[in-house]
Amino acid sequence: MAQTLTSTAHTALRPPATVMRLARMGSFHQCRLSFMRVLLRRLKSENWRFERPVWKIDANGVGVAVYTAHGPERSYSLVAFSHDLPANQRSDRVIAEAWDATFTLFDGEPTQDDIERLSWNVPKQEAGRISSSEISLSRANRSVRLFEHVVSRLAEGRQPDIEKVRSIGYLMRTTAVYGSGKFGAVDREAIADRPEFAGPFQAEMLSVYLTRAFMLDLVEHLARMRNPDKAVRVDPDLRRRFGVGNSTGLGLAPFLANHPSLLNNWIAAREEALARIRSLPTAASAEVELFCDRLARARINAEEWHSEHSLQIQKLAMLKADLDHLQAHVSAGALEGDAPWDRLYVWSERNLSIEGQEQLVSLMQEPYASLVDELADWMMADEDAYFRIDGGMPLQKLRDHVEEIYGWALELDWASQDNLARAWYVSEEKLEPRLGERFEEPIEAYEQPLAAGRDAAAMFRDIEAFDGEASVAAFLLRHPEHRHIARRTQIAARCPYAEIRDNTISAALLPIDLLRCKLAFFGATHFDPRSDRWVRINMFQDAPFPHELAERDPDEWAFPPLRKAV
Amino acid sequence: MGIPTATEGRLMSFSLNEIASMGKRAARGAGYSWGLAEEAGKAARWLAAHDLPGPELLAELLIRNDGREYETLAPVIGDGKWKAGSDLLCPLITGSALCDRASEISSGRKVELSAVAMPMLLAPFAAGVAELTGTPVRLSWADAELTLTAEGIAIDGSTTALTRRAENVRCEAVDQACPVKAAKIAGRTVDAETWTRLAAFAHRTYAPATEASRLAGAGAGLSDSD
Repeated sequence: MAQTLTSTAHTALRPPATVMRLARMGSFHQCRLSFMRVLLRRLKSENWRFERPVWKIDANGVGVAVYTAHGPERSYSLVAFSHDLPANQRSDRVIAEAWDATFTLFDGEPTQDDIERLSWNVPKQEAGRISSSEISLSRANRSVRLFEHVVSRLAEGRQPDIEKVRSIGYLMRTTAVYGSGKFGAVDREAIADRPEFAGPFQAEMLSVYLTRAFMLDLVEHLARMRNPDKAVRVDPDLRRRFGVGNSTGLGLAPFLANHPSLLNNWIAAREEALARIRSLPTAASAEVELFCDRLARARINAEEWHSEHSLQIQKLAMLKADLDHLQAHVSAGALEGDAPWDRLYVWSERNLSIEGQEQLVSLMQEPYASLVDELADWMMADEDAYFRIDGGMPLQKLRDHVEEIYGWALELDWASQDNLARAWYVSEEKLEPRLGERFEEPIEAYEQPLAAGRDAAAMFRDIEAFDGEASVAAFLLRHPEHRHIARRTQIAARCPYAEIRDNTISAALLPIDLLRCKLAFFGATHFDPRSDRWVRINMFQDAPFPHELAERDPDEWAFPPLRKAV
Repeated sequence: MGIPTATEGRLMSFSLNEIASMGKRAARGAGYSWGLAEEAGKAARWLAAHDLPGPELLAELLIRNDGREYETLAPVIGDGKWKAGSDLLCPLITGSALCDRASEISSGRKVELSAVAMPMLLAPFAAGVAELTGTPVRLSWADAELTLTAEGIAIDGSTTALTRRAENVRCEAVDQACPVKAAKIAGRTVDAETWTRLAAFAHRTYAPATEASRLAGAGAGLSDSD
């Protein structure tokens, strides 16, 4: 049976009508429940061991490397193929056909034969096939701006320029990280009973975490090959400043709409964390101190977060002003007295932008590991348990649910071209999701069911015209075209945060809001939209490397370090 | 292409996720509504997970029903007897309607289905009734008897009986569970011809690529190679 989280807080959870708006979802920040942080806490607490059993990379950076992570019961290996890609083929776009490096996460420790088999398939990415021994498939390109700089500096025996590292933040950018049975990989359900992969995207995050180690090893190796006598390694503190870049486009956007019960569980966990903290009667001084430290570091994060996108530039300016305002408010004693966090949150609703409000929601979690971290166990979903339609439900009850969940959509004018301007479709090329202009391109015939508001409004009209005493079963036998949205409505009736409460085909839609929400749950930082539909991010920046994890905190890296006084 | 077209004569291994996704796209391509296409993907996957010919039967069905109107394939529900408008009953539409009536079936309503195409495709839906209500359900036709429980399936019948193209089927709740075979979450092989057939239907759902859509649809923007 599907399990849902029952709140233990006395403060009410924020209502879906507040949380599930795209403007707010597009302002989420990483938090204690982000999947990268969940992963590193586990790796640390279970004393995972890491090794690099294979390193066969030549002076041009071509070859194969294997990184193995040994857990309490099982081992996993990142198999990395490193290539020498001509500059004119380097593209982050999903339509690319060659990459600087390609990866798979192997279930166990690969034999020579496995590596041979993978060498014929992994470099081809979507055009190759992997097997049920593999868990994920991914690729990365070098950052032209930083990669060569780092290699040549190291080869000269010098450290990379810290300002360059700070402003770019990564050596290579990944694009898609495919999991869940794609291209022949193992089905998620087949590994979801392993504790280490029960949570969402844990295998993908492990793959990216090991990929980061490979990237740093690669530049140090290339420097050594170039100048064996003088080359140095990156200083450990500076080394941690390198994350893994990622370029993410529309391919990710439909995910949230296609996994409503999963989305519900992510949001519900984060909202429950907020409600628990708002319910606290007081804040101890150590908790306030930790909050203030993370707040100061969030301010540095905002400073180091660059974007050339006009919307994000505005949001960043507001975020910086918000964080200054918040610091002043807290310094003036806002956390003294009763119910400090509830008062602070309510204050933020009146005084901060949505970007700042959501940064605060994340920051408030920081001092409260014991209240928050266990909620990560509620972020997976048994999606099968929500698939079947309850046909015995009276049609009038379905109607009531539509009014409650899609009330916003019933008020929209669905004859207006602006409200219908976009259509989601899948292109023949690489089968990637795209967003087109319904009234300008011949795409409507290929439309994907990613317009829940419009579809709910259409179903509502037909319900009104149907026999009032009927059941959902009778209605759907007559109206098979509403079966998809009827299913969604019933899921959202059980899972309050399952449905986005905005028009996903509006002329005003910003797909980057969908991307930001998902990537924030991953734990990404430095969202840098490159258009309204693709975004660059940084992953695992400042995190300890595998060989450092035993000695370092698995959580505090999520905010950049305070700059040392000069 | 994301999901490859298998080469002729070869068996290829696919994950259950790929089978479900291909089944859904193919059914949509053959003209089913999205909601029914989701049922088709789920059904193909369920059968594959139970080592039964889900993708194969679905491909046969889609070829048969391609271009036919929903009204001709959907059950007209009479007094215990369900009959198609003017054709063989479609097991996806009929199965969905059965599953939507799970509580009626579990509380004893017997349904006689006249002439169902590919009746084996009803099994995942009968399993849905069992999952929803906890009541075992039996599907039977001339020389086959299937018992579905929330845990799996028990089959009494030959391979040929299971791959019949049309049968009258009886669907009813049964009192007693029997030992069943449970699903196995593992990829399975599908023959090239089947996969190619499904892929051809799925292909109808993909918009032809144009340079304009490549730029606009996927999001042109600042340089991505710096």
